[in-house]
Amino acid sequence: MSESVIRVTELTRRFGVTTALASVSLSLPRGAVYGLVGANGAGKTTLIKHILGLLRADSGSVRVFGLDPVADPVGVLSRIGYLSEENDLPGWMRVDEIIRYSRAFYPAWDDVYAEELRQSFALDPAAKIKHLSKGQKARAGLLISLAYRPELLVLDEPSSGLDPIVRRDILGAVIRTIADEGRTVLFSSHLLDEVEEVADHVTMISRGTIVLSDRLDAIKASHGGRSLAEIFVAHAGAAAAPSPDA
Amino acid sequence: MRSVGVAIAWEFCQRYRWGLLALIGYLLVMMTTDLLILEPGQAVGWDGSPNIPPRFAAAVAVPVTLLTYYFLAVFSFGLAGDVAARESQYPARLFTLPVTTAALAGWPMLYGTATLAGLWLATTRFVVWPSGVDLPLIWPALFVAASLAWTQVLMWMAYGLPGLRVVVAVFWLATLAAIVFTAIDRRVSESVMAATLAPQLPLAYLAARFAVARARRGDVPDWRGIFVRLGRLADVLPRRRADFRSAARAQAWFEWQRHGRSLPVWVGILLPFELALLFVAGNDTPSLVAYTLAGVLLTPPFMAAFVAASVRTANGSAGDAYRMAPFTATRPLTSAALIAAKLRMAMWSTLAAWLLVLVAIPAALTLSGTWPVVVERAHALRDGIGAPRVAVVGLLGLSGLIAWTWKQLVQTLYVGLSGRTWLIRTITVVTMTVLIFIEPIVQWIRESDDARVALWNALPWILAVLAFSKTSIAAWIATRLHRSRVLSDRALVTGAAGWLVAVLALYGLFAWLFSTPLIPRYVLVLVAVMAVPLARVSAAPLALAWNRHR
Repeated sequence: MSESVIRVTELTRRFGVTTALASVSLSLPRGAVYGLVGANGAGKTTLIKHILGLLRADSGSVRVFGLDPVADPVGVLSRIGYLSEENDLPGWMRVDEIIRYSRAFYPAWDDVYAEELRQSFALDPAAKIKHLSKGQKARAGLLISLAYRPELLVLDEPSSGLDPIVRRDILGAVIRTIADEGRTVLFSSHLLDEVEEVADHVTMISRGTIVLSDRLDAIKASHGGRSLAEIFVAHAGAAAAPSPDA
Repeated sequence: MRSVGVAIAWEFCQRYRWGLLALIGYLLVMMTTDLLILEPGQAVGWDGSPNIPPRFAAAVAVPVTLLTYYFLAVFSFGLAGDVAARESQYPARLFTLPVTTAALAGWPMLYGTATLAGLWLATTRFVVWPSGVDLPLIWPALFVAASLAWTQVLMWMAYGLPGLRVVVAVFWLATLAAIVFTAIDRRVSESVMAATLAPQLPLAYLAARFAVARARRGDVPDWRGIFVRLGRLADVLPRRRADFRSAARAQAWFEWQRHGRSLPVWVGILLPFELALLFVAGNDTPSLVAYTLAGVLLTPPFMAAFVAASVRTANGSAGDAYRMAPFTATRPLTSAALIAAKLRMAMWSTLAAWLLVLVAIPAALTLSGTWPVVVERAHALRDGIGAPRVAVVGLLGLSGLIAWTWKQLVQTLYVGLSGRTWLIRTITVVTMTVLIFIEPIVQWIRESDDARVALWNALPWILAVLAFSKTSIAAWIATRLHRSRVLSDRALVTGAAGWLVAVLALYGLFAWLFSTPLIPRYVLVLVAVMAVPLARVSAAPLALAWNRHR
């Protein structure tokens, strides 16, 4: 638990006059599930994009597995599984094609595991991605994020707008990833009950700053056993609180 | 904003304000030219009338044509979606408005036809009018209005097959062009043309209303079942099931699937029409055969310039085509590897297009009976400069055309892949400006003996400045690539050495071909330096990295 998978130091990022992240510091040790919660526009996706190297820090530093994700995208991205909120899988690909295409990038790709996931997600290999439902697209994205058993799984609002069955699949994936010893999950969500269900650590972010970050049991203990939603409202303010069923 | 018409007009004005500003700017320039520069009664025309400076004609024709095509795309919503899709291009978000279908179809058609007709009338007023050239006034205005109206119908109609809209649109636009040329050639009277074109507008409106009504209720025909068996046949082909041996090959496949087929398909569509000219009676004279073949040989590089517009997009989605999609940005590949996949795809796409050309030309020459004309020309050339030079010139010409096609596909990658809208717009405006002014400048040089002499004397200096600029920019890019670690030292050195070898080889060929004291050797070196791509291609990985890591 001592080695940091992600280390963010004094990270600041501005978009024009808007400060999206203000001196954010974060250290995520290996082998746990981290829930990143915050309202829309709080800075969750901006932080995740810095971790993936899709954004460059204005000031401060980001290290993933000890590497700079901007300077060494291959070294970092080959060890990360990422499911984005946008779910921008290429619509023209078929399910079997996206599996074949994705496996070429990851030496650790596990064909048996991929097939097991495909069957459990009931994905037709001949179906085109653009013809899949939103939930099936999320499952396809999850499949290609998990099949090489990444050291770090990053899920950016994965359950947003999805039905309870797909949400269950996503939570199941998180749990399976945790079962692989030494793997880490960073899970951003509006759904605080889901975060509460699977997260070991919770980081609350509001208006570009981290307002609370600790082990979930420690947070609950220090707040008299209140729910995560109540704690979030207390720290981030009611105006910034996400809807419990969003 | 209580009127539907005003709301739709507001949206067009807001969304395409840069195009409207370009239109206003163009009209202001033309008005100023008309009022201040041209002498009273002096006209700006389209042909070589004695009192008409042809360079001004080009300055008029190019922007008018560009603006016409731009507004065709704007008012038919062709810029908003995938024109190859089966579904209607009419924005679905407007279908849920509490507005009649007649209004949804009618207002964009009214604004579009009025804009294009107004563009023509303003052009004739400020540029051609008053003119010694007898240009018709009404029917061209009706013609552009009808062209837009029918283009809107084609864009808003749903089709049974993907890509069918593109095929129908190509045939439709070719037919329209044929009508114009025939009318001009036959000197058809204005009243006849107006009587033919005016009824097109209500007919197009009815067709557009029908198309929007179908799209609004989600009625999209599906004829893809016809091709299901063909699709299954394609599924058993070994290539489609084979695993990729490396990530680089997988990415090259990805790029090929996205963009690789476009150039061969477009060349394949145009070739039959171009080569059909060889079969027209009376077209078997050496000059006409040469013109036809020249047109065919220039088709791949010409079309590559258009296909490049989609190749240089970083994202497949229409929402923000230039911002890199997270799916692609999170591939565990270096930015250089992502660019290499695009370059490889462009190479295969170029070769596929040229394979079509090289198969089609001999077949058409044989079937049309025009082979002897070509053979006779080749023999004459052989007698003039010798067989080895003919062979080398032929091979060099073909290699040059193939290389030019590839260059056309990849040389603007750095623009689109930068993902910066301001840079893309700036370069587009600069390119358009150059296109508008290049023809008048060329005409001026052609007309002035002094200018030609001065240009010839200054040519080595001009080439030297251009070559120095190119190599300096390339050196700066190489430094940035090295510092940002986008390219490894080895890749940089290998690339530079490869470029140097290509320049030396080209110089050697030039020196052998043009062994004349009239052309100094250093000029040949400078031409070789300018001919081999360097700066823009090497800027592509830097631009992609800039877009990928914002």
